[in-house]
Amino acid sequence: MSSQLINITVALVSHLLVLVYYLVNLYQMYQEGGLVSSKVFTLWAIVIVAIIFLNIVGNILTYIVLSIVRAIKTGKADEERFIVDERDKLIELKGVRVSYISFSIGVLISMLTFVMGQPPLVMFSLLILSGILAEITGDIAQLHLYRRGV
Amino acid sequence: MEKRQVRNNIRKFRFFHNEMTQEQLAEKVGVTRQTIIAIESAKYAPSLELAFRIALVFGVPLEEVFSYTSEDEPA
Repeated sequence: MSSQLINITVALVSHLLVLVYYLVNLYQMYQEGGLVSSKVFTLWAIVIVAIIFLNIVGNILTYIVLSIVRAIKTGKADEERFIVDERDKLIELKGVRVSYISFSIGVLISMLTFVMGQPPLVMFSLLILSGILAEITGDIAQLHLYRRGV
Repeated sequence: MEKRQVRNNIRKFRFFHNEMTQEQLAEKVGVTRQTIIAIESAKYAPSLELAFRIALVFGVPLEEVFSYTSEDEPA
């Protein structure tokens, strides 16, 4: 399994964890009587910071663990093989395109809810949800392209 | 237009070059071993530059390493 594949898998797992956290909190708010703006925006901020933080920490930890494993296997430091080559960049670009399309659809749906008379908090909640789902679909697309070929 | 794909004889050339491994070839051309695996199994068509670099490693013209054939034709 290449280092890029492991990075994407780690990113996918962290995005799924953030999605679960977000949905659980939204459900709790709904159970307590509906969306409250201060709580929704606090949740927004937590989700965005969590995604950024988990991506950075995930990448660093993956790099460290892979380096240790490779050093144990080969008996030498192998830094230069953590390269991102043209195939990795092409797959990443295609994954970003899938994310972009997913997010655009999510934004459209969230705008439609506002047009149909739902409160703005519903639109904002759906916006962040579509952002998380866009990240997840992008990761899944990349994993699929690595398996199937470009 | 009939469906064609980029095929190659990299595995054969590696064998005739002191049984070069995929890792060794990957290091020489500046890509990962997984990319060489994907190229050999026709799951990835390399860029022109990468194709030239691979041909250069084996010291042969590009068209001896790579071919653009239809799926029915032998490589």
